[in-house]
Amino acid sequence: MLGLDLITPEYLAVLDPFADEAKRIVEASPPLEALPAEIVERAVRRVKWTTREMLVEPDLESIRAEVLSFYLMCQAVASVSFPGSQEVRLISEATRNTLRYRMYDLFKRGQADLCLRAVKRSINLVDLEIGDTIRVDRFTIPREDFYKLRDLKLAEDGLETVDDRILPQYLPRYAVRWTDLAPLLRHRRKELARLYLVGGWAVITPRDLWDLYANFISVRLEDYVQSVYERILESGAQPSGVLARVGERISSLVPKEVFVREEFGRGPAGRLRPEFFPPCMKLALNGVGAGLRNYAVMMMLTPFLSYARVAPSGKVATRMADFIKDISVVREEIAPLLFEAAERCNPPLFQDQPQEKAGIFYHMGFGMTTEPTLSDSGRSKWYRPPNCSKIQMSAPSLCRPDEFCRKVKNPLTYYFRKRYEASKGGGGARDEDA
Amino acid sequence: MRMREATPEERRRFYLEEWDKREVPDFILHTISLREFGFDLDGKGPNNRYNQFTTVEQLGDFLRSRAPYSAYASVALYERPSAREGWLKAELVLDIDAKDLPLKPCGCPPGSVCERCLEEARQVAKQFAEVLAGDLGLRNISFVYSGRGFHIRVNDESVMTLEGNERAQVVDYVTGGVIPSDFTLALGYSQVFRERLVRTFRALGPEKLLEVKGLRKSVVQRLMQEKERVIEMIRRGRLEEISSLEGLGPKTFRSLLEFLTRLNAEFTDGKVTIDTKRILRLPSSLHSGVSMKCLVVRDIDRFRLEEAVPKFLREGEG
Repeated sequence: MLGLDLITPEYLAVLDPFADEAKRIVEASPPLEALPAEIVERAVRRVKWTTREMLVEPDLESIRAEVLSFYLMCQAVASVSFPGSQEVRLISEATRNTLRYRMYDLFKRGQADLCLRAVKRSINLVDLEIGDTIRVDRFTIPREDFYKLRDLKLAEDGLETVDDRILPQYLPRYAVRWTDLAPLLRHRRKELARLYLVGGWAVITPRDLWDLYANFISVRLEDYVQSVYERILESGAQPSGVLARVGERISSLVPKEVFVREEFGRGPAGRLRPEFFPPCMKLALNGVGAGLRNYAVMMMLTPFLSYARVAPSGKVATRMADFIKDISVVREEIAPLLFEAAERCNPPLFQDQPQEKAGIFYHMGFGMTTEPTLSDSGRSKWYRPPNCSKIQMSAPSLCRPDEFCRKVKNPLTYYFRKRYEASKGGGGARDEDA
Repeated sequence: MRMREATPEERRRFYLEEWDKREVPDFILHTISLREFGFDLDGKGPNNRYNQFTTVEQLGDFLRSRAPYSAYASVALYERPSAREGWLKAELVLDIDAKDLPLKPCGCPPGSVCERCLEEARQVAKQFAEVLAGDLGLRNISFVYSGRGFHIRVNDESVMTLEGNERAQVVDYVTGGVIPSDFTLALGYSQVFRERLVRTFRALGPEKLLEVKGLRKSVVQRLMQEKERVIEMIRRGRLEEISSLEGLGPKTFRSLLEFLTRLNAEFTDGKVTIDTKRILRLPSSLHSGVSMKCLVVRDIDRFRLEEAVPKFLREGEG
């Protein structure tokens, strides 16, 4: 299979698609529409690769196909979805698995140096000094900790014993500066308190290294997709045919369990009408990425869904209790939608910010509580959804206006007006008392 | 030490006679034109924002002419501080407010401070800074006495571009705010967590322990009676032995552990740390609410509250 003795410097692009070697390949490539069919196919297929499919031959043609299909996959997803979407998560996870497997495979074949060269371009990495004492920099690591770390890693993988061939993968061997792992902390891929830190160095095993690095690249992929997405939005251009086609094919591979409309089947029929929701709220309901989670769930969805459901006139109200007689509207209809949207965020909002559950009820006017009652209504302010101009400024990636958006200045107006127009046209929509 | 509000006349006197530009720390002095300054001119809150000074003399002129109730500078550096635009980087900051300590060694009511709780805040600040310098390997760490507590201000380039999420994890690490996967490792977070747990558990009284879900009165009494033994178990990382105390099953032990961990996290206000555009009280300025000087602490071990007493208060009491 791989003639690894013939590996060229360009092979680094296989381990780091954002390396200069990869950029040079992209710059020298033909326009997207002119890419050969096998690269287009590869851009879709790579989402579902397993083990050996992830490996790349060390010849220039294979490296080129690998890099171009990677960029086609990213740009295609950016053109049909949005940052933090299911599609982005799908390609991010696939890329992480691919990178991890490639690192593992190269280590196994005695090509650890190549991996380390790729890693060291982004992360400050040193070898542990393992002799009579175990040291990193000027700090000594107790031998007992060294072996405990091995055992903890084995336990994490559910292993009690492993053979001598596998064992070295679980022994601490390197150290990296924790501050270089900031992108992983930011995206909650790693937790600082789960790292073994000494003098600013995180002590890691080879397996940790593969995992950290694979996560590192997948986080960079997410940032890259976001930048492409913003570029597309700014330019206002329609994505090219090949991008749309590849994007849609990747979309079709997303597991089907999350679709907004299905979720609304739970509420009594005819109450919330998601088909009249503005695009920004639909996007927010599908879950968003780390930087936008609070804004999307707390400031946009919570007021929007609560006013849309409870105050049918859309007029400013001070207390929800003026509109509802039964708290189950809040607890069983509105809150579950919000909790599910929060769960779909990446990472799920309540995973690292459980206190925000109470924040949801706070923004609906019930004060800081997770068990709201009608008598709590009015304890805090019942927030209105922000105006479109504000959303555009605070969450530009969620603002993908359609034709109807031009007529309104607030997402709630969009909803009520669209529903009203549909009812006039015989669509059957009507307000119901909550 | 009596802490009381300064009068407008005392504020004026302080800024005319006592304020000294040499007490503005270098980390602010060298970046003064890149920081946003905010002022509370009348004791109603820091509403006067978006100020920029290109020299410390300009800042001094402003302070002397307006004698503000409070003065603040941003932890962030901006390309255009007067518009709060072009964020470049921000200090990493921990705020240990003596009035908000979750467990106060003194009887003073919530929201107020005395010398004992300030001393407790000093100890906490010192412990936090040891972890920042030790485990996290950070340099350029300064302490500031803020009037009601202490600020730790880290001007290490490697952390100044961190965003809120990463800073929140630093708070978790330094405070012992998450339960670790292992309690027995000699170094790293395992050690930090054990130390924080010991401090928190030692300071706990029976009333506070009764807040733990499922913890019966008799078990609380036992935990209090055997406090030193429990502390020893924590120190040695043998936390599972605590759960074997009579009447304390694994489930209640978990509740207890979660309760202690939550308390650990409350020793600093995490919102201050994660806010990369925060304004913090300006070292050298007067905290008019308590009539104390906010100042850089050169040696945290030898800090004496008297250093922060302004002349007008000393003379008034002398």
